Order: sequence, then C-alpha cells, then structure tokens
Amino acid sequence: MLEVEHLAKSFGPIKALRDVSLSLAAGHVRAVCGENGAGKSTLMRLLMGVSRPDAGSIKLDGKSVSIGNPQEAQRLGIALVAQELSLAPDLSILDNIWLGNRTVPLFHRRKEFRRRAAAALALLGVDFGLDTRVSRLTMGQRQIVEIARLLVREARVLILDEPTATLSDVEIERMMAVLRTLRAQGKGILYVTHRLSEVFKICDSVTVLRNGADVGSATIDQIDRERLIALMLGRSFSDMYPAVVATGTADQGLEITDLEVSGHVQAFSLFAPRGRITCIAGQVGAGASAVTRAIAGLVPGATGTVVLDGRPLPLGSLGQRVRRNVTFISEDRATEGIFDRNVLENLVASRVQDHARCGLISWLSLRRFANRLCGEVAIDAQRLGAQAFDLSGGNQQKLLFARALGGQTPGVILINEPTRGVDVGARAEIYRLLREFCERGYVLLMTSSDLEEVVGISDVVVTLYRGKIVSTYQHSRIDMAHILADITHPIGAKAA
Amino acid sequence: MVGVSSSAARTLWLRLKAPSRLLVVRVAIMLALAALALATPSFLSAPSLTTLLTTISFVGCLAIAMTFVTIGGNVMSFALGATAAVSAMVFVVVLNTAGYASGVAAALVAGAVITGLQGCLIGFLRANPIIVSIAASVLIYGVAQRVTSNETVHVSETLIQSLLKGKLFGAPIEFIVFLGLTAFGQAVLSFTTFGRNLFYIGSGFRAAEAVGLPTVRTTILAYVWAGLFAGVTGVLLASRYNQANMEFALRYDYDAIAAVLVGGIAIQGGSGSMLRTFAGVAAVSTIQIVLLLHGFREEWRLFITGLIVLAVVVLYSKRQRQ
Repeated sequence: MLEVEHLAKSFGPIKALRDVSLSLAAGHVRAVCGENGAGKSTLMRLLMGVSRPDAGSIKLDGKSVSIGNPQEAQRLGIALVAQELSLAPDLSILDNIWLGNRTVPLFHRRKEFRRRAAAALALLGVDFGLDTRVSRLTMGQRQIVEIARLLVREARVLILDEPTATLSDVEIERMMAVLRTLRAQGKGILYVTHRLSEVFKICDSVTVLRNGADVGSATIDQIDRERLIALMLGRSFSDMYPAVVATGTADQGLEITDLEVSGHVQAFSLFAPRGRITCIAGQVGAGASAVTRAIAGLVPGATGTVVLDGRPLPLGSLGQRVRRNVTFISEDRATEGIFDRNVLENLVASRVQDHARCGLISWLSLRRFANRLCGEVAIDAQRLGAQAFDLSGGNQQKLLFARALGGQTPGVILINEPTRGVDVGARAEIYRLLREFCERGYVLLMTSSDLEEVVGISDVVVTLYRGKIVSTYQHSRIDMAHILADITHPIGAKAA
Repeated sequence: MVGVSSSAARTLWLRLKAPSRLLVVRVAIMLALAALALATPSFLSAPSLTTLLTTISFVGCLAIAMTFVTIGGNVMSFALGATAAVSAMVFVVVLNTAGYASGVAAALVAGAVITGLQGCLIGFLRANPIIVSIAASVLIYGVAQRVTSNETVHVSETLIQSLLKGKLFGAPIEFIVFLGLTAFGQAVLSFTTFGRNLFYIGSGFRAAEAVGLPTVRTTILAYVWAGLFAGVTGVLLASRYNQANMEFALRYDYDAIAAVLVGGIAIQGGSGSMLRTFAGVAAVSTIQIVLLLHGFREEWRLFITGLIVLAVVVLYSKRQRQ
C-alpha cells in the first residue's frame, strides 16, 4: 500500500535521514525504532508533508505522490497520532472528531455526523458519550478519540508516534486491542516506539533507524530483543556504560528527610552518598523530577529537611546552593538550561561573581575559567563564541555539566533524564562524565524513566510510584524486572 | 590567552569578511540616513545641529534607561517619561530651597524610588511589566496633578545661572552628558555582575532560576538603574527650560521606545547594548529633524515615528519565525 524509497533529508549540515526505504502493506503493523535523533520524527514529517524530502519518493498504491502539506496528506489518507494530541479539551468528543474535517459542510446534518462518529468509536471498541467533554477523559481515552477522528477522515495509513509513552498499563492493553482492530480493518500502521516489548507484542515487522540511516529491517520472527537493541545502539548493551570504579565507603553525602511536595511527593527520605550515582526511577509523572527540583529550591511549597555533609541545606536558599556547589540540570534544556547567549557566557553563568571584585568582573579571568571548563568536559574551545543553541544536544548537556565544575569543592549534581534528546554517540560520553563526577567525589542524584539507563548506570536505585518510594536497590541487586514491576504496579502500594 | 584573543579576532574578521544580511541592512540604513541628512539644506547649520543634539540627548537618556528594562526581559516601560517629569519637578523644587547638589540628588532618588517600586512588583510577584508600567504612569499623572494642581514649577531667577547649560567642545552640555551616560550604561552592562545577570535573566528566566541567579534582586536593580537615568533626564530637561511640568514627559517616552526598537534591542530580552540604543536614538532623531527641516508638521513626525516602530516590530517578528 505505502512504499517509501530512498528518502533523504538534510537540515543544514545535518543529515537527518539518508536513503531510507520501507514498505507497508494493508493490515500490517510496522515498528519504526531508534534512539532520539535517529530520524524517526523526520520520517514522520516527510510522510505528513510538514517538510519536503531532498531525494527519494513516496508511493501510495504504486503511484508516486508528492505530499506538500498536511492537508494533502489527509486527502491521501495518511494520518498521524502525535505525542502531543491535537484535541480541543473544552469541546465535546463529537466536535473534536469532526473538528477541522474538510468534508463537514457549514450547515451539516447533525444526525448523520453523530452516527458516523459513534460508528468510529464502536469500531475501536469503546463506548464514550459523544457529548462528553474531552477534558474529562484520560490520556489513553483521548488518544482513542484522536484515532477515531482519523478514521472518520478515512485514513488508511496511520502513523502512531509513541502512543503509549504517557499511558498506564491498563490503557496500554486497550491501545494494543485498538491496534489489533485497526489491523483487522486493513489499515496500514507505522508504529514509532522505543518500547521494545510492544514491538514484539503487536508488530509484524520492524525498521531500525540510527543516525538517519536504515540499519536493519526484519519481520518480527527473524529478530530477537538483543539483536534489536544492538541495532538501535550500534553496539552491544554492555559497551554503553563505563565500568564502576570502587570509591571506598561514603558516609558523607546528601541526606533527605521527609520531603513533601504537595500533589507530587510524599514522605520522601533518602541518603545519596558522595561518589555514587543514586537514581530515582519512576514513570513520567511519578514525582521523581519534583524531588530534584525541590532540593534545587525551585518548588516554592516544598517542605522537608536536606542535609549535606552534616550541615543543613535549606530548601530554596539560592545563596547556599551556589556556595556549596549544588547544580541542577533540568531535563528541559531549552527553557531551564541553556541561555540564548554564547557558549562562554553559558559556561560561566553561575560563577560570574567569583570572577568579580566589588561587582566589577574580569573578562580575562572569566575566559580563562571557561577555557578550563571546556577542556574538562571535552567541548572544543574554538566554539566559545558560538551560540549555545547551535550546539548539538550532547554538547549542550556537556556544557551544563561543566557548570557543576566551577565551585571550590565537589558538590552535588541533581540531574533529570540525563540523556533525553542526546544521540547515541554522546550518550556514552554523558555516562562517562557522570562516572567522572563520582570519582571526583560529587553526589549524583539523577532521575530517569529510561529503564536501561537506570540499570546500566546506577549504584543505588530508588523506585518511585505516585510520589512514594517503593523500594531501594543497592548495586548488586539492581535488576530490570523488579524495577519495572515497582514503577508500574507495585505490590502493596496504595494509589494516592 | 593567545588562543582566546585570536579566536575573538577571527570571529570579528569572519563577520567583516562575510557580513550577515542584517549587518548590511543596518549599515545601509545608517548611510542612507546620513546622506538624507546631509542633502537637507540647513541640516548642518549650527542652530539645527544644536537642536538635534539636544533632542537626541533627552530621548537618549530615557532610551538608555529603557534598555535596562528591555534587556532584562521586561519589554518596555511606559512610565519612564512620567518619572522623568516628576524628577524634573522634584529637582526644581529642591533646587529652589536647598541648592543645586541637593536638587540633583533628590531628582535621582525620586526616579530610582518610583521605578524601583515597580521593579519590586515585577521582581517579587512576576507581575506583567507592561501593565505595571502603564498603571504606574497613570498613577504618577494622577498624584502629580493632585500635588501640583497642573501648574508649572519655575526655577527662581537667582538660580538660573547655576544650571548646566551652554556648550562644551562645541556640543550642547546635554549631549556630553548623554555620551557619558551611554558609556557608563554600557560599562554597567559589560563589566558588572549585575549587568551580566541581567543578560542571563533576559535570555532565559527559568534557566536563570535553575542556575540560582538572584532573579528578584537583579530585576529590581534594573528598574532602579532605569529610574536613575530617568532622573538624569529630568534634571537635563528642567535645566534646559528653567522650569518643569508633567507635559515634559509626553513625547520622550514614546521616542525612547522607538529608539530602543530601531537600535535592534531584542524585544524578548537578553541581548542588546547601549551602543545599539545610541544608534537607534541617532536614527530616530535624525529622521524627525529632517522631517521638521523639510517643513513637515508635528502630525507627520508622529505618523512617521509610528510607522517606523510598526515596521521594526513586523520585521522582528518575521525574523523570529524563521
């Protein structure tokens, strides 16, 4: 039904997609896997007509088509369920299903449109009231409404972009059922994901992208989990993470007692020793990032006691934080990390006053300092004058790490999702940096929802479910199955 | 250090060798304006040059004040003109009773307090800076009207000769002050921790919070600096005209905004310089004087200034989208 041949697309010097070919038959689900930055979104954008390919062709039923804009994609029957849904929360399900549809006349026959919307929902095996407001639905239910909207538009090729990323387990099961129904209806589905278990559960074949290239396509019975991971990473799993160097007993560190963040975290207590990577593992929304944010003093209503090396670190005291070298690295680099200034200014941001006398700064001293930081985290010093936003995701992350090096003493690094938006190559480098900071005696407290990362890099793992600690695992006892069970449906945990 | 300075030199060289389109456009506009001015008969005559330089100075000092607000990410203030007018009146009143130095000091304090209070609202409460400044401006007019009953305060005859007037090196004294303030403002931006923090906060407020920069203090300080510069403007105005009233503020406010925009200070904050503001002031004022010399009347001046501001904002949003 859909055939993509030798598709290529560059953005400036970056080859986002090179020579990618794949085919999709009716009634077929093809997984598209790959790390962040592998080219998955670019492929989707080309299919949806958001950008135009530099080379290659897209064929539908054997006929070459040129997709100039999303409206054309809609006309051809190609539809996307994006991660960020495009529903209007204050409108009813019915209105949302027909919203923006080109075939609805201004004075439409309401009955007919109700019937067709209801039929689409019934087909998906759900029974929502058509007049319910979308804001009252869960994320999973909204996703199904979005799919129903695509069905009434007679979409034949559905592209789903990580549809289960924000869903609960029950909802994931329902989504799987919906996908099976769609497949039985003869729809072709491109299923973009990096959740490997879903690939084996629902898909017929898989295409793996890495650095914009197709590194392997196979039907699902020809491939196993290890092979798929190796294809995605471009190396075997074990090369990714640096070896742990024993750093002696650590009785000094960051002690958190009874941290409360209303609506996010309850009674959170934890000791994060120096020289270790302590990881708070949890699903998106479990409250892990609220812990690090609160310690960084970025959550106004947070309460609890935090003690660093025996001396209290009051929540929200910016002065103490900077003096004792507590660095917070957000998962949202664009708004909470990088300033829209050059690399040099970004590097020295928290340390300008250390290079000033009576408020007057010395640029000479700042430059020298920035040069040293560049050397330590392997950023090319030639790029000090470049705009920080022009750096790759990996280099931006290294820049943020460098800020932690400015203090007099080894401090604390609070880091959320350390490798989000970082490509595979830089990922290994970030992990190496994390280890290096350990060896320097820093406290590393990270949060992550990426299980492989949690297992691969952590010395201590604390699992979090709906704002409460489920259990704690020390180095040798960290294993993926237990952690996964903890953060998805812990035994004995009460739903908050 | 050799490595660093040579890389800085290389960046400069690259910029000169392959100038960005924006730079070319800027230089072209400047040249065109200069040509237009020179082609205007009587532009280079002493009286019109003096007028030009004096006007530039009033607008300029206010624009320098505005630049602190804009770079800090608080867009613009619509209360600086009113603040300058109040400072002018405070200056005259204190001058008449307590002498010149006290007058200047009182004017500066008045300016700093009025805008500093707005800075507190914006810094502590994250109140919308534009709305705060509009409200403040209305408040200032209201209070001033009540206190002065809409009257003009005059400098007493015996003190007039003590005012800073006349020329230095052939330029009106106001212009010398403006030049000095530009250099001073630029130094504050470039070489103080406050100045650097202002850039950080303007270019990424949440990033600044995450790094632990003193966002509240810096925002308030930015407004205090703006108030001080508005205070200087007030002193200059009162000194030139031997009197002060609330009418003073009316046009300089808007011209200062136009100048900052034309100078290319990023509206969303986080970049810009006093030198750019200076260029903006020069451009806007030159256009206005040329219009006057060609015999266009006041309504044309307003019309053209409005058009320029609109054009800059449109061009700017277009660039932002790319």
